[in-house]
Order: sequence, then C-alpha cells, then structure tokens
Amino acid sequence: MANHSQLGFQDASSPIMEELVEFHDHALMVALTICSLVLYLLTLMLMEKLSSNTVDAQEVELIWTILPAIVLILLALPSLQILYMMDEIDEPDLTLKAIGHQWYWSYEYTDFKDLSFDSYMIPTTDLPLGHFRLLEVDHRVVIPMESPIRMIITADDVLHSWAVPTLGVKTDAIPGRLNQTSFTTTRPGIFYGQCSEICGANHSFMPIVVESTPLTYFENWSSLISS
Amino acid sequence: MLASRAFSLVGKRALSTSICLRAHGHAGVVKADDFSLPAYVDRRDVPLPEVAFVRDLSAQQKALKEKEKASWTALSADEKVELYRIKFNETYAEMKKGTNEWKTVLGGVLFFLGLTGLLLIWQKHFMYGPVPHTFSDEWLSAQTKRMLDMRINPVEGISSQWDFEKNEWKK
Repeated sequence: MANHSQLGFQDASSPIMEELVEFHDHALMVALTICSLVLYLLTLMLMEKLSSNTVDAQEVELIWTILPAIVLILLALPSLQILYMMDEIDEPDLTLKAIGHQWYWSYEYTDFKDLSFDSYMIPTTDLPLGHFRLLEVDHRVVIPMESPIRMIITADDVLHSWAVPTLGVKTDAIPGRLNQTSFTTTRPGIFYGQCSEICGANHSFMPIVVESTPLTYFENWSSLISS
Repeated sequence: MLASRAFSLVGKRALSTSICLRAHGHAGVVKADDFSLPAYVDRRDVPLPEVAFVRDLSAQQKALKEKEKASWTALSADEKVELYRIKFNETYAEMKKGTNEWKTVLGGVLFFLGLTGLLLIWQKHFMYGPVPHTFSDEWLSAQTKRMLDMRINPVEGISSQWDFEKNEWKK
C-alpha cells in the first residue's frame, strides 16, 4: 500500500512491475530533458534574447526533426519490449478467477478443488486497531509465492477493474467477457489494490487484497477455507 | 521578396501594438489608418524603419535638415539629437526598457492565492465534519507498526527506512 502522501510507485513485488518502474524512470528522464529545454527557450524568449530575423535554416530544421525521431524510438523500444513481455504466459501453476460484483469481488479456485468465496470490504467501524481503512477485506486472495499465477477476470453486472499496483496488474472486468492476466510475486506479503473502474455508489469500497505465502501455508489455507 | 513582405506585415502589426502600448508625444506622427502604406516601427530587429518618424517638419526642423546636408562635424550635440528624434521615435535604450507589468501580475497571482487560502480555511472550519477515527495518533502508530511488520515497500519505501535490529528509524 502507499503512504499517505506518496507520489511515486509502490515497491515492485513482481518482475513485470520492476520492468515498469525502470521504464517509467527512463521515460521521466526523457520528459525532464525536453521540459528543461523548452523552459530554457521560453525564458530566453521572455528576456528577449532571441531575434526573429531568420527566414532559412535548413541545417537546424534537419536536426530538430531527426532528434525527436530518435527520442521517440528510444521510448518505443523498451515500451514494446515490456508490452510483449506482459503477454507471455509461461505455464502458470495456478489459475483463479476474479469476478466483480456490485460491490464486492468473488474468487474461484477451481483447478484442484471447488473453492469459491466472496471478498467484502471491512467497514471502518469494524476495523481492528492498526488495520488499513477502506483497504481490508474479510477474505483475502491467498496465492503461493514465486509461482506464476493466471487470473481470469470478469464481472457479473457492470464494469469493474481488478488492480494491484505493486504487482503491476490492472485488468478490466467486463460482463460477458473473460480477460486474462498473469503475475508472479517475488516475495511473500500482503498486497492491496482497489477497484479501478467506476461501478456505482460503492466503487471506492470494494478493495482487493492478495496474500502471497509459501506453498505449504497456501495448501493449509485452501484446505481450511473449503471446509 | 517574401522576406520584405513578411517584414512589412510584422512592422504594421508591431506599429498597431506599439500605438496601444506606448504613449508618444511627437506631433506629425503617421496615423496608421491605412495599413497598406509603409509605416514606422520601433523594433530592435528592424533597425531602419521604412519611413522617418516625423513626416511633417516644422520650419526649424527643415532648416536643420538643410544643415545636415553639409559636414556633420558642424552639427552640435543637441542638433544631432534633434535629427535623431526626427528620424526615430525611441532610442534603443528606451526600446529595451522594461515595464513594471510583472509587479502587477505577481501581485494579482499572490492575491488570488491568498483568497483561495482563506476559502480553504473557511471550508475546513465551517463545512467539513471530523476526520475518521483512523487518524488518531494511537491508530497511526499501530498502523505504522503493522506496515513495518508486514514489510510493506521494503526496497525503497517505508520498511527500508526502519532499522529492524535496533528497533528505530534509520538515521
């Protein structure tokens, strides 16, 4: 989860998110360079240090066409690399379904057992001391750590979106459609997210909590919860 | 050809702007009613405007123009200045001189920022209800402890700033 005044990304908990953070740093540096140049030129113009007598400047026109093209290539290449990386589905160990409803998520683990449950937000009045307001749920999505997980996302009524920022996942939940995404958690922990598509009055109150644990604890949990 | 046409267009635009912005006290100034006629312009990058500033010379000025046809060393400093003022409206120093407009702009910006601040203070005092109970100090410290126990954001975030051995924030 984020701090109260956090502006940047949360620390990555999946390899894709690590790539996204690096790319974001790169893109932001490019943007900073361009903005600094523009600010510099603007200041020069406001101080009236630039004249307008020029009518013909073939060489500089060539440079300021080629250079932006190179900058765009430098942005596009890593972007496309990550895009294709995200679409690689490498033998997931577990497939689970997330179904968005108004206003809760339900999850189905149907690979080995017939396991399904609803996940409602814990109201602020019932929150135990020190827990996170508007983020905690009664049943978390428990998954084994360091294993590729395939998520099938859909919705029961209106549009929702299943998002967990630290895993670099955000997938729309569309009624009548199955969207697929996958991730691998690099460490154990509890990862929070919130519904990311407006879906009515309680859109802000249907969070997502993913709990990534070692395999034995996951197996423990799945046998306990299905009973 | 294109360049000189562009310049005269620019000159006419600048003249109409300079008429609006700068007061001029010389008599006999070309009134720019007809934008197809060559016009006078004060611009740092157009050093020699198409026409002289003063078109209708008084008798005294005409005499001075006659004197100008002779050797220039015979002219006094005042006469040279008068000849300049016939040809040009402003000196380069006058052209480059800034206005005090920035003070007005800055003052306006700060004033409206202050106004907005007052509005926000009024809102907080009269409009908004109390914050949720999860903002109390007790809850915040329990929450922070839970975040550290969970190792939230351990790479560069909050858990990386806590020294787990010494049980204190890293210096």
